[in-house]
Amino acid sequence: MHEFLAQLVNGISLGGIYALIALGYTMVYGIIGLINFAHGDVYTLGSFFALTILTALGVSGELHGVALVVDVAIALIGAALLCGIVGVLIERLAYRRLRNAPRLAPLITAIGISFILENVMQIWKGPAPVSFPAVVPNPSVMVAGVAIGAQQFLLVGLAVVMMVALQLFIHNTRLGRAMRATAEDRDAAQLMGININRTIMLTFLIGSALAGVAGFVSGVYYQSTWFFNGFGAGLKAFTAAVLGGIGNIAGAMLGGFLIGIIESFATWKFGGQWSNVTVFAILILVLVFRPSGLLGEAVFERA
Amino acid sequence: MRLILATAALAALAACSGANNASTSKNTTTTTTAVTAAPSPAPPGQVVKIGIDLPLSGGDASVGISTEQGALLAIDQAQKNMPHGYTLQGEALDDSVQGVHNPEQGVSNVRSFISDAAVLAVVGPYNSNVARAEIPVTNAAGLAQIGPSVVADNLTIGPDAAQLRRTNPSMNTFFRVCTTDSRQGSALAQFARSLGFKRTYIIDDNETYGLDLADRFEKDFTADGGTVLARDHLAKNTQDFKSLLLKVLAAKPDVVFFGGVTSTGGGLIRKQMFSVGLGKTAYMGGDGLADLGTVAAAQADGSYYTLAAPNAQKLPAARAFVKTYRAKYNADIGPYSANAYAAAQVAANAIIRAIGSSKGAIPARAAVVANVAATKLETPIGPISFDKYGDVTNPVLSLYGFKNGQPYFIRQIQLKL
Repeated sequence: MHEFLAQLVNGISLGGIYALIALGYTMVYGIIGLINFAHGDVYTLGSFFALTILTALGVSGELHGVALVVDVAIALIGAALLCGIVGVLIERLAYRRLRNAPRLAPLITAIGISFILENVMQIWKGPAPVSFPAVVPNPSVMVAGVAIGAQQFLLVGLAVVMMVALQLFIHNTRLGRAMRATAEDRDAAQLMGININRTIMLTFLIGSALAGVAGFVSGVYYQSTWFFNGFGAGLKAFTAAVLGGIGNIAGAMLGGFLIGIIESFATWKFGGQWSNVTVFAILILVLVFRPSGLLGEAVFERA
Repeated sequence: MRLILATAALAALAACSGANNASTSKNTTTTTTAVTAAPSPAPPGQVVKIGIDLPLSGGDASVGISTEQGALLAIDQAQKNMPHGYTLQGEALDDSVQGVHNPEQGVSNVRSFISDAAVLAVVGPYNSNVARAEIPVTNAAGLAQIGPSVVADNLTIGPDAAQLRRTNPSMNTFFRVCTTDSRQGSALAQFARSLGFKRTYIIDDNETYGLDLADRFEKDFTADGGTVLARDHLAKNTQDFKSLLLKVLAAKPDVVFFGGVTSTGGGLIRKQMFSVGLGKTAYMGGDGLADLGTVAAAQADGSYYTLAAPNAQKLPAARAFVKTYRAKYNADIGPYSANAYAAAQVAANAIIRAIGSSKGAIPARAAVVANVAATKLETPIGPISFDKYGDVTNPVLSLYGFKNGQPYFIRQIQLKL
């Protein structure tokens, strides 16, 4: 029982990271029907940006008090903003001109962008894993004999807050309505006077910023980052988005947590080498038996 | 020095274009004649050569050149023991192409050594994949080849190695003065038991190197009275090892053994051991963990790793060599300088003995091979003799630990085989 709970807590924490990444996949898919395979690498880029900002601030260990709040906020917002800008640039350079091309074309440029980002990051911080400072102190509370750290609360809390904020934004603002309208029918939305390019740009900005947030929290949580992390994490977050119902915000969140828990339990019960197998077996099962995912396409609807 | 290397590299390129054009069958014919050629009396001023094949440019150059210098020093010093009328020369060729060691380039270097009748033995290569390509060629030619640093198990032992020796199965022409990957597993098992560790949890990265290492550790640790609690393999492209480590925590090991390298999970596992509460448990692995400090910093403390070579800086037998090397090249020895010195010493010694038994005539390459196989020689890295596979019979490995994130030398381990 104790080990079950420990694995559950670990799975939820891991799932928080997948959920944050999955939000970006699902938003972009919802609005332009593209699986943005460069998204996982934007997540890694987020941890690189955060690391660079923290280094520039002279942070190399745990922070306390005001410094903790200020420096973490600067690193978090900075990483999110920079990733958002990268996301917008990627859309502008690699996807916009291909918006009306066959669907395979932007998919291939997405994979190309992914390779470019990976190699740029490899040149930037080197081919080996890089150490990330443990900026957030990690005191833990015991719940039913399982230690839950402050970082785990932060991680899951951030993921949930981001999802709720995103839901509110999409359903309660003019820009959110423009996003929904664009997702529903791009041509009709354009006829109604919605600036399609700006709306899609906004989607990439928000989705990539969320990946930046995920990059920052994963850096804090694992105290390391690596140029190639985004490949594996991106694929699993994509699986999470499909499991929850791609195009669906709440589904991405649910899928993210489920994939985290499943991965954790698979490692526990079947052994480490079977964790990926289990996750991707689920991807196949979902695609075959329930292609619309657990929650279907409730928010963004596309033919 | 640079200029000579550059010229050598150019010569190698020129030679390779020729060698590549020659058909395989033609090569085999010429080399067979070389093996069976009757010894002829040496004219005065006879030059015999030891070929050196190493990566001497690009990313591998820093280790390649210090290795080459070790071999050249030995050849230099062997000069005074050469029989009257003989001059011993070292001829180095670069097996790097565009900055990376390259098996095809290695093969063409070896072919150019084979076509030079004065070359009686080869020292090199540095890398196991290059050795894998070269061994069939030197074996077919019956030319002795001595590796200073190639540690992959299957170059000498097992069905893969037999396949490499297929042209001349009865004649083993490849020898190495270093030990093998999997013997690190034995050394680590011995060390773990000597520290009083009884219970281990073994994790590997599911790659060739990591699996071999972990297999050997598992076998020896158990044979030595230790308990293996469980064995787990990692999935690729994962950054979360916490669920695995929660399992490890529940099993309560004295030491966590990792078969693999820092970048396939070795570094992250050590870091995440601290977040699940395993920070005080010891951590061990092979030379793949040598750079653990760069990832785990001070959290690397409490970890141990081996290198499949003695630490020549600390070996009493190597003191004179370390000093001479320093005086000659105005630099400290590289990681495999002493090994290359020993390899060239073995080659030179075998050539000298072969000349002796051919009564001063240029010996056949086969006679040099036989003399290498029969080697009993004191070298800076200890006494060297070979088993029937060409592996050293008294492997010495060195053991390191971490203090403040920096590796420090603990001691040499002499394996009981």
